[in-house]
Amino acid sequence: MHASSPVWAVQGLIDTRTEYDHLFSIYVPIAIGVFALIAVVVLVAVVIYRRRPPERAARWHENNPLEGSYAVLLACVAAFLLYLTFTTEHKVDTVANQQHPSVVIKVSASKWEWAFTYPAYGFTERSGTVGREPLVVPAGQAVRFEISSVDVIHSFWIPALRYKHDAIPGSIQIATLVFRPGVFPGQCAEFCGLRHADMIFTAYAVSPTAFATWARSRGTAPTP
Amino acid sequence: MSLASTRSPRISRMSGWLGTLTSTDHKRMGLTLGVCSLFFFLLGGVFALLMRTQLAQSNMQFVSDNSYNELFTMHGSTMIYLFVTPMAIAMGLYLVPLQIGATRVSAPRLCLAGLWTWLCGGLVMQQGWFASGGAGRAGWSSYAPLSNGTNTPGVGQDLWVIGVLLAACGMFVMAACLVATIARRRAPGMSLLRMPVFTWTELVSVLMVVGAFPMLILVMILLYIDRHGGHIFTGFAGAIDYQDLFWFFGHPVVYVMFFPYLGAAAEAIAVSSHKRWFGYIAFVASMMMFAGLSMAVWSHHMYVTGGVTNQYFAFTSTALLVPAGIEYFDMVGTLIGGSIVLRTSMLFALAFFLQFLVGGLSGIFVASPVLDYQAYGTYIIVAHFHYTLFAGSIFGFFAGVYHWFPKISGALLRERLGKLQLLLMVVGTNLTFFPMFFLGNDGMPRRVSRYPTHPGWGTLNELETIGAGIIALGVLTFLVNVFVSLRRPVPAGDDPWLGHTLEWATTSPPPPLNFEAALPPIRSYAPLLDLREAEIDRARERAEVDAG
Repeated sequence: MHASSPVWAVQGLIDTRTEYDHLFSIYVPIAIGVFALIAVVVLVAVVIYRRRPPERAARWHENNPLEGSYAVLLACVAAFLLYLTFTTEHKVDTVANQQHPSVVIKVSASKWEWAFTYPAYGFTERSGTVGREPLVVPAGQAVRFEISSVDVIHSFWIPALRYKHDAIPGSIQIATLVFRPGVFPGQCAEFCGLRHADMIFTAYAVSPTAFATWARSRGTAPTP
Repeated sequence: MSLASTRSPRISRMSGWLGTLTSTDHKRMGLTLGVCSLFFFLLGGVFALLMRTQLAQSNMQFVSDNSYNELFTMHGSTMIYLFVTPMAIAMGLYLVPLQIGATRVSAPRLCLAGLWTWLCGGLVMQQGWFASGGAGRAGWSSYAPLSNGTNTPGVGQDLWVIGVLLAACGMFVMAACLVATIARRRAPGMSLLRMPVFTWTELVSVLMVVGAFPMLILVMILLYIDRHGGHIFTGFAGAIDYQDLFWFFGHPVVYVMFFPYLGAAAEAIAVSSHKRWFGYIAFVASMMMFAGLSMAVWSHHMYVTGGVTNQYFAFTSTALLVPAGIEYFDMVGTLIGGSIVLRTSMLFALAFFLQFLVGGLSGIFVASPVLDYQAYGTYIIVAHFHYTLFAGSIFGFFAGVYHWFPKISGALLRERLGKLQLLLMVVGTNLTFFPMFFLGNDGMPRRVSRYPTHPGWGTLNELETIGAGIIALGVLTFLVNVFVSLRRPVPAGDDPWLGHTLEWATTSPPPPLNFEAALPPIRSYAPLLDLREAEIDRARERAEVDAG
């Protein structure tokens, strides 16, 4: 299993990082282009029109047809960006949540630790101010996180996946994510009080067989 | 004018501290509000420097976790509730009556009560520092249930709630007075579509204050009840409700903190280009569209909660690029064909537009829910809003200061010190805030006092801390400039820049009732430029007659 040949592409899985990178690769170059264009126009205008006698300043000050057409052009740009965003969001929000998960992990956030419960295996890993037990997931398969909180709002974030979701008391929210193999730091992304900075964890994405072996050895054996 | 002079209270002619506190002259109220806001700016800046010192390395022990949480809460709260928003109102209080040819503000005593209320709010909020357990420490937005009595107990957080409540009430009242002033006190001939660009930006801002601040007042009352046994914001619905209510205020205020500074930069650019602001009608229309949309984008702060309709708020938020694009078009249209003088106010105004652009473009980026799933709660957001508020609004503010200081004080600010300040601030600002985009995308969350030692993070954070120090030097240079310029004044005269609008048709500083001579005729949004252009035309005609 190698990062350049993602297995989920074969299985038709949607992964958040690919979708983010795709959108990023369109939004950011446009932004840089717009900035460069305006900066150059301003600079050139300042150089050309600097220090002319005030009475030579032009008196025209309006061109509403031109501005109207320009506004239409801007609206088209907005429509294009929204089209890209909506199609990508459909994949990330809807398609991703319908992916058939190979494992379900209950994420319970509290001040200031994460509890990752594996219901199929009957054990819980904790990470935060109490210690640093690992979050282990099978790489290349859909992993379903059921996210909740017992006190204040926290946010379950794994930066390498380009995805986070709030953990809000009184609700269980679903995020189905696909991991590439590797070790990924994660942390709380919603300020949650005194030790917010310590609410960190590490996600290990290993091969499905390695995951199964780890889970069986870590968890209590399921009763027959 | 006779009406105003008979109603003008005697007390407004008192001098000294008592006069300052009791005067109902809009100029003195504006100046008091502005000077107090500036004091809070320096205080909030000190909080920022303490935070940046703590963050210079990954595991600094400069301040405790609790102190750090107080610092970022009070930094954000001080800057937003006690500096950028009230300063926007202060500029309006001082300048709007002058720009529309009025002698005073409407309901001046009410306005003065608003000023006191706001100041009390600011002082109450800062008193939290002396409370046991410390000042407010749940963030400037104080999300429930973190901000409730169980999770953030103590008097400091209560003082924060009451402070924000009072400050909001005060600003609401002052904004309402400005709305009334613009509605009722324009000079003869000053139709709505002849109001100066700055006055338009103020009008839209104060209308938004009137529309959105009651929600903040309501939220603070509810939060206070919640903290004292009311249990209002409970469960999932309570948490989402708080955010919905808060951001219904919290997003419009972002534009209140932007428009007047945009207006100040626009005036500086038009005057320093010797050309009236381009595309006036389109600009006014874009301000309206901006204001309307900005009341409908609040839940883009809540994409990752799973409690809002992301597509709708992505639509309204991305649509903001249309009015924003028109403003940039008008700025370029004003420069082209002009006769440009690169004085300090002009340079600050140009820096405002170019640096704000980084904030605006990154705003379109985070308006996309998929991109915000990564950016939310990280240093990408911190970079984004500091590019709008600091690299944008504060630069617009200084453009306004260098533009109007001569009018207010009668003395010019020193140009060389001004340009030194600009250089320091441009370097410092970009050094501080640009690396934050990389840190955020790489996984650094906001509101942490310590961070892991990932490769590159230490260097970027060190650069940011150095940048913050350079900004502080820039602000010190400004204070020195004000001190020197007042101590050894270079007289400005009534109209040092060949201004376009009515405030330049009176003395510097203006007399108590603003205009002693008759107002020039008002036939456009640049009445003084009209006079000069007519003068040039007459001179040309004479020359042609002589030649012919």
